[in-house]
Amino acid sequence: MAIRELKVCLLGDTGVGKSSIVCRFVQDHFDHNISPTIGASFLTKTVPCGNELHKFLIWDTAGQERFHSLAPMYYRGSAAAVIVYDITKLDSFQTLKKWVKELKEHGPEDIVVAIAGNKNDLGDIREVPMKEAKEFAESIAAIFIETSARNAVNVEELFQKISKQIPPLQNAEVESNDSFKLTRQPNPTTRRCC
Amino acid sequence: MRSRDSVPAANMAAEELPSDFDIVILGTGLAESVVAAACSRVGQRVLHLDRRSHYAANWASFTFNGLLTWIEEQKEESKPEKIEDWSSLVEEGEELIHLSNSDPASITNLQVFSYTSEEEEADEPNTIEEEKAAGEDAVKESSETESAGSKEEEDAGPAEEEEPAETEEEEPEADQPPTSPPSNQSEPVRKKISHAQLVKEGRRFNIDLVSKLLFSRGSLVDLLIKSNVSRYAEFKNVTRILTYRHGNIEQVPCSRADVFASRQLSVVEKRKLMRFLTSCMEETEEQTAYSGRPYSEFLRDQQLGESLQHFLLHSIAMVTEDTPTEEGLASTRHFLRCLGRYGNTPFLFPVYGLGEIPQCFCRMSAVFGGIYCLRHSVHCLIVDKDTNRCKAVIDSRGQRISCSHVVLEDSYLDADRKRTATPPRYLSRAVLITDASVLPSDPDQQISMVTVPPTTTGGPSVKMVELSSSTMTCIPGTYLVHLTCQSVGSAHEDLLPVVTRIFRTTEPQEEDRRPSVLWCLYFNMADGSALEVEGHRVPSNVYVCSGPDGALGHEHTIRQAESIFQKILPEEEFCPPAPNPEDIIYDGDNASPGEDRAAVENGGNQEENQEKEGNQEENQEKEGNQEENQEENQEKEGNQENQEKKGDQEENGVNQEPEE
Ligand SMILES: Nc1nc2c(ncn2[C@@H]2O[C@H](COP(=O)(O)OP(=O)(O)OP(=O)(O)O)[C@@H](O)[C@H]2O)c(=O)[nH]1
Ligand SMILES: [Mg+2]
Repeated sequence: MAIRELKVCLLGDTGVGKSSIVCRFVQDHFDHNISPTIGASFLTKTVPCGNELHKFLIWDTAGQERFHSLAPMYYRGSAAAVIVYDITKLDSFQTLKKWVKELKEHGPEDIVVAIAGNKNDLGDIREVPMKEAKEFAESIAAIFIETSARNAVNVEELFQKISKQIPPLQNAEVESNDSFKLTRQPNPTTRRCC
Repeated sequence: MRSRDSVPAANMAAEELPSDFDIVILGTGLAESVVAAACSRVGQRVLHLDRRSHYAANWASFTFNGLLTWIEEQKEESKPEKIEDWSSLVEEGEELIHLSNSDPASITNLQVFSYTSEEEEADEPNTIEEEKAAGEDAVKESSETESAGSKEEEDAGPAEEEEPAETEEEEPEADQPPTSPPSNQSEPVRKKISHAQLVKEGRRFNIDLVSKLLFSRGSLVDLLIKSNVSRYAEFKNVTRILTYRHGNIEQVPCSRADVFASRQLSVVEKRKLMRFLTSCMEETEEQTAYSGRPYSEFLRDQQLGESLQHFLLHSIAMVTEDTPTEEGLASTRHFLRCLGRYGNTPFLFPVYGLGEIPQCFCRMSAVFGGIYCLRHSVHCLIVDKDTNRCKAVIDSRGQRISCSHVVLEDSYLDADRKRTATPPRYLSRAVLITDASVLPSDPDQQISMVTVPPTTTGGPSVKMVELSSSTMTCIPGTYLVHLTCQSVGSAHEDLLPVVTRIFRTTEPQEEDRRPSVLWCLYFNMADGSALEVEGHRVPSNVYVCSGPDGALGHEHTIRQAESIFQKILPEEEFCPPAPNPEDIIYDGDNASPGEDRAAVENGGNQEENQEKEGNQEENQEKEGNQEENQEENQEKEGNQENQEKKGDQEENGVNQEPEE
């Protein structure tokens, strides 16, 4: 089976659970006091999709969004973006719209957008109604799902939905794109860049 | 708010910055960013600020609209700085050094010309010319004496006539209502692109302020690989070397395959060139005899003939008529050594432009805990009078932030504090959006390095890089052309003669196959190599970084960054490899950042990691992980073999490795 690398970038306010979602997805692990992930450029997990294998390269913001200083290179070549908000924080849902706008401006044109309402285990202190979020997602043709990184709810599903939305690779694309990463090997293998 | 190349600050709650760091870094240019990555990587707490709203300072790349905004910003009169009274934050025995918060000197003589039609009917070239008065003087003054030979420039003939007439200042194009692209009548092949289209598709441009290439065995490539920052960027090979000679653009054969395939070289020339390239890899007595004498003389005496001399001097060594032989040979060897590592030319170019590179190092710093803040500056350094060391800074919000070291871009220092070469040196830059390649070919997605020897005696030799849309720096159907030379006069004076020879800026005439310029920008940038290494009037723990220099490669900047790092942390390794994503360990519930870091620091060592993983109950990815690691080890072995092979080829002078 052909392995296809897909860059996915995470966006959303600080504390909504971006790192927790990746950690749950990649390592099936949840940590209440998750420390900012020092040293992780991105985490990877490979999942089957049709007759392809999708190797997700999941990029976390590395804190650069904290002071509104995310570099445009963060979005480069992303196949998908997951915008996370916290269902118990109305503010985090409001800023979501800013992230959507930001993606439209700086992200790749054909990027798959997914909106994840995280911490849905905390339904009793919910501030964002699911209906409202769902309607908003539909209005921008984005994937929508509520997740709980804590209870492992819908995290796998989130990435499955993304996988399904990724258009199958065109052969022409593979051939025409001869950009490569620099590695210790002298002959870089040609691969798709975005 | 205008479109910027970074996340808008709008409405997101501003957090307070921590008030204690090991290292505060001002400016996100390449040198500062490399220092930031290197320091964070070894566990230093880094605060990295830039007063601008974009990354990479004068190394930045912009979308078309972002560039128009940048142009407007450069033209804005710099407001007199409000000196705030921070005395309440200063303690006994401390004094303040005020920093500069605008950068009026580094970009000057900005001029924009637009040759696309604003509206369908208008076929007059539409010219917008802007000059930045203050800066202009700076360059003109310094160049008056040197450009005494400017009379000769009149031979540059057509230049003067074709220059479009100046019109009065016009509103920047960005706000113009969109117009539909004009139908193509005169030229069936090239599609005519309107200004509205450039604006509409503006975000697909990535226009660099600097124009450089990466030598495939240069220090930047080595550093990217060594540090694993290379993960964040993709590259393309520069596909061909061209040169301007006898009024034509010609391809320069440089690899063995090129030489044999060349149609413009005779069999005798091919043999001579191959022999020369092979022999020059080793030092010979004959070469030593020319030491101190010009390389051009050495080449002349090799009986190579005029074309080969031109190729070797201008396109392979890329030196001038009077460069000494030993230097010319060193450049030639460097060029040859870089051939074949990745492609058929020695050069690489990053997809999305050079502005990506500083951002990649910033990302590495952030990943290791560096804190990033754009649109944020430092107003003063607080200096301990006794020790002459900077112990804290005061940021633009009046917060006192303590630190042990400060690294800053030179534009933050007032002129009287820094030592620069006199007279000041500038680079002349032109950026052109054109509608065709200077040497059309099939396939058309070429990336070309073009050397243009001086068009007048004593004039500057111009380096030109032509990028096709495959680099993701311009839209399909256009080419982005960067011209760079050492300034003699203003950028427009220096580069217009070359532009008007190679491109056309007027309505197409019969037979004229030259590419048309759709839009172009001229400006001068301070030459970073003019900043002295030592001797600035700053506290002993403050280190100054320069902006971009005029050389094609990045050696100057990487050397500077490494030397600053070594002054700050003499015991530490410079940019050791960051761990592979697969090797990162999430510690258990009792994880503390300290432990995290320890795990990360061992990341390069896979065996150790696996042992640790073995101890972890929770790790379920272990198996997959080990497989990956094994794969990598195998790759590494393969790699060694390949390198030995390469060594052999290098001895043959021209190495040619088939590219996959
Ligand atoms: N109850 C509950 N808490 C969660 C969930 N996901 C994350 N958290 C908690 O929310 C806090 C923030 O989670 P992070 O994953 O660090 O959030 P982040 O978005 O990565 O934050 P930054 O890295 O600061 O941008 C942590 O204390 C998590 O334990 C969830 O699904 N349910
Ligand atoms: Mg996080």
